[in-house]
Amino acid sequence: MPISLDTTGPGPSMKDYHCQTQCTWCDACGDYGVWTAIKRALVELKLAPWQVLLCYDVGCHGNMSDKLLGYRAHGLHGRVLPFAAGAKLANMQVPVIAFGGDGASFSEGVGHLVHAIRSNYPITFILHNNANYGLTLGQASALTWQDQPMNASPNGIPEHTLQSMEFVFALEPTFVARGFSGNIPQLTEIFKAAILHQKHGFAFVDVLQACPTYNHFATHEYFLEHCYDVNAEGHDPTNLERGRAIAIDTSKRISTGILYEREDVPSFYDRLVPRKNVTTTCVEEVSIKDVSALWGDLV
Amino acid sequence: MIIYSQLAIHNSQIAIHPMTRISLKIVGASGQGINSIGEIVAKGLKRAGYCVFGYREYPSLIKGGHASYQLDCSNERIRSTETQVNVLLALNHHGLEHNLRDLKPGGIIVHDTLGWKFPPADKEFLHTHQITAISIPLEDILKRLQAKPILGNVLLAAFLWAALGQDKEVLKALVGERFAKKKNLLELNMKCIEEGFSFHREMGQVEKPKTKNQKPVIPRLSLPPPDPVWKDHLLVTGSQAMGLGAMHAGVRLYAGYPMTPSSPLLSFIADLQNETGMVLKQAEDEITAAQIVTGAMFMGARALTATSGGGFDLMSETLSLNGILENPTVFVLAQRPGPATGLPTWTAQGDLLMAIHTAHGEFARCVLAVSDSQDAFDLMPVAFNLAEQYQISVIVLTDKQIAEVLYTQTPYDQTKATLERGKLVTDTKRLAALKSVDRYDPAAQDGISLRWLPGSNAATYCGQGDEHNADGTVDETAKNAKEQMEKRMRKLETLKSALPEPELWRMDNGQWKIDNDGSVDVLLVGWGSTKDTVLDALQELHHNSQFAIRNLGYLHYTYLWPLKTDRLEALAKKAKKSILVEQNYQGQLGVLIRQECGLEINEKILKYDGRPFFVDELVELIRAKLQFPTID
Repeated sequence: MPISLDTTGPGPSMKDYHCQTQCTWCDACGDYGVWTAIKRALVELKLAPWQVLLCYDVGCHGNMSDKLLGYRAHGLHGRVLPFAAGAKLANMQVPVIAFGGDGASFSEGVGHLVHAIRSNYPITFILHNNANYGLTLGQASALTWQDQPMNASPNGIPEHTLQSMEFVFALEPTFVARGFSGNIPQLTEIFKAAILHQKHGFAFVDVLQACPTYNHFATHEYFLEHCYDVNAEGHDPTNLERGRAIAIDTSKRISTGILYEREDVPSFYDRLVPRKNVTTTCVEEVSIKDVSALWGDLV
Repeated sequence: MIIYSQLAIHNSQIAIHPMTRISLKIVGASGQGINSIGEIVAKGLKRAGYCVFGYREYPSLIKGGHASYQLDCSNERIRSTETQVNVLLALNHHGLEHNLRDLKPGGIIVHDTLGWKFPPADKEFLHTHQITAISIPLEDILKRLQAKPILGNVLLAAFLWAALGQDKEVLKALVGERFAKKKNLLELNMKCIEEGFSFHREMGQVEKPKTKNQKPVIPRLSLPPPDPVWKDHLLVTGSQAMGLGAMHAGVRLYAGYPMTPSSPLLSFIADLQNETGMVLKQAEDEITAAQIVTGAMFMGARALTATSGGGFDLMSETLSLNGILENPTVFVLAQRPGPATGLPTWTAQGDLLMAIHTAHGEFARCVLAVSDSQDAFDLMPVAFNLAEQYQISVIVLTDKQIAEVLYTQTPYDQTKATLERGKLVTDTKRLAALKSVDRYDPAAQDGISLRWLPGSNAATYCGQGDEHNADGTVDETAKNAKEQMEKRMRKLETLKSALPEPELWRMDNGQWKIDNDGSVDVLLVGWGSTKDTVLDALQELHHNSQFAIRNLGYLHYTYLWPLKTDRLEALAKKAKKSILVEQNYQGQLGVLIRQECGLEINEKILKYDGRPFFVDELVELIRAKLQFPTID
């Protein structure tokens, strides 16, 4: 069934996404903010729970999978992107949102992130970035700062910290945004834009979030002090050079908002020659097919 | 049959089988065009009224290395390769060195290595086996025609065609089709055909060489009379058959990562994407391919991926995920010899136990194996139906032999397959009545609960990779864990009771038929691609009147997990001898049979050198097991 992304007219409410299951995150965990903002964004986009597919990786964030309604999938560690891409390619009418942590996305699943961005799959990816593996009790991720003692790295990590934004921009993304779990109104706007970007391709949203239990450096207060809204300051998201520069340099202030967006690059699906002018979805096309026309050359 | 007619030279008492087969082998370096000669001649022979069985051997290299393409043909159904051939076409001197002894007595070797001097031992071999060696001045002819070396393939094909006594126009029509889009090359190709024929004619004029400078006469290659029934058959590889089967089954998305011998399936589906409108993704790895397919099936499409053993190892975690999501999925596992990279371009049946046991945790799955181009087509809709009906993963086993053999195939009957989606709810009214807890309802008697698709206007659920309760909410209580495990595992019992028993093949009036009510004195048991060679070998043994035991049968397993053993046990009890035939070291089906019913099949014919069973080889192996008197 086609689902419009039109935001006018009557739609669902936050209650429709409400679920009886109680949250299990630590007090002050950034996941609460993402959880609230995503529901809010879906409601404001007038998308009912039955109209969306929310795909979760494994980690603290993945425990959101049964804390709200909607069609959901909670898969394997590191593998959320190809799962979400496959689901979307099968039914282009359903908005598909993938959630993953920095642990999975920049280590076990980093290959998928690379290819999801270069493929420009028409999906939204929300990165829960708390710079550690929370669920397994605070090991270092590829995004953990050096010199921080962590579980399994008592002397801090010997490796470089991966510069995630430089990495992402090197892959020629079509949408990059950064938000902060403590600013729910802004995060809602970012999520809405990232979901709407699905008609153009892959939307990457880096959500900085506090991990009060294991991340004692980038705390809620730290983000409050350092984050600023680039769009409020007049940043033009079509400016690649500028977007990239403010994304990468977080030495003094941390840029949030829509850092970069372009709509002129076709998505993976739109590049598929066999799907040009096809109005049905793969899901709708399932039937026993007559293939005799295809074996003509084999006689 | 040629195996014994050949032996009959030495022992005239041996009865000759009514099936006459002839075999041609083209050898040379990978990339020299062996395949194109093989394919042209195969198609020509099929159109002339012969059943063709094409078999390729090649190393894991793009160019260079020693490769071969063998065509075995007959006017009857032929489904195997012989070790010895009637004609050897050698495109380089390595062929002359390595393959000379592949020739049968009275055979012909054709080559283009001018001035080649056979070493004394080879000369002696040629002489005692009455083998004719013919060298074609290919380079000179091509130079005269100002044609590129690659066109030599058409010339050689034409020579073979002439030697087989076949109609030139048939070959011209074929080559015309092949080069329909390359008009500039067409004329030169036609010239090459003429040259191939005229060279053969010239050679044939010398009836009896009077001086040593005269070229020898080309012996006549006598094909049996053609049977027009083969003319309208298809020539397909198992990969093409499987691709067509997948498209027939309604597969709309294919994701894969290249790995021999699954790559030809990827290529076949990719090459037809503009005709089929399918979504195709060459993934960054096998994990991705498996996940894309998992996501697409979760959404409700039919999607497929294929790989070989190593890639399947990477997919196993995803297989486990599908187990707990109860997500229908189909994985093609095209076997080749392992461990590790193993023998990448050779064949094996070494992954049966892996397919059944791989991936963590306990969950229901189905494993089935195709055996030829008929199965490869027919079983794809079956696999998808089983996956959707039982909400499980179905693993379809194939191997390098099936993937790349060229089969003469009856045009497919497309009325057999139906679309079965099990407990999938799509009706608006029924959707509206659904509750979230219907999705994984542990009360489902057969273990199969209702399934509906994302985007359906209904109560939503979570496809939950953690242990969950009926609506997909994480639930780690002991009671729930037990209930859900039992629900999922009940599906295995439901499935087992629905799957067919293995089929018994018996000879009846000189014809093979499936006779599931019959009993046999000698029972062979196998699965997958060995079926073809077993049937040809048994046919040979059956027709040989010297052998006392006539009641030979073959029990073929298509459905390998869950394994049914009732028919096997009944047959084995009555049979004087049961023999397991497999292409692996352990006798993996035998291990499985013993595990499931305690029956131990002690007699085993096992091969694990990367080569398929050859019919003459298997005849001898079976004969040895039956302690038949040896020939000569």
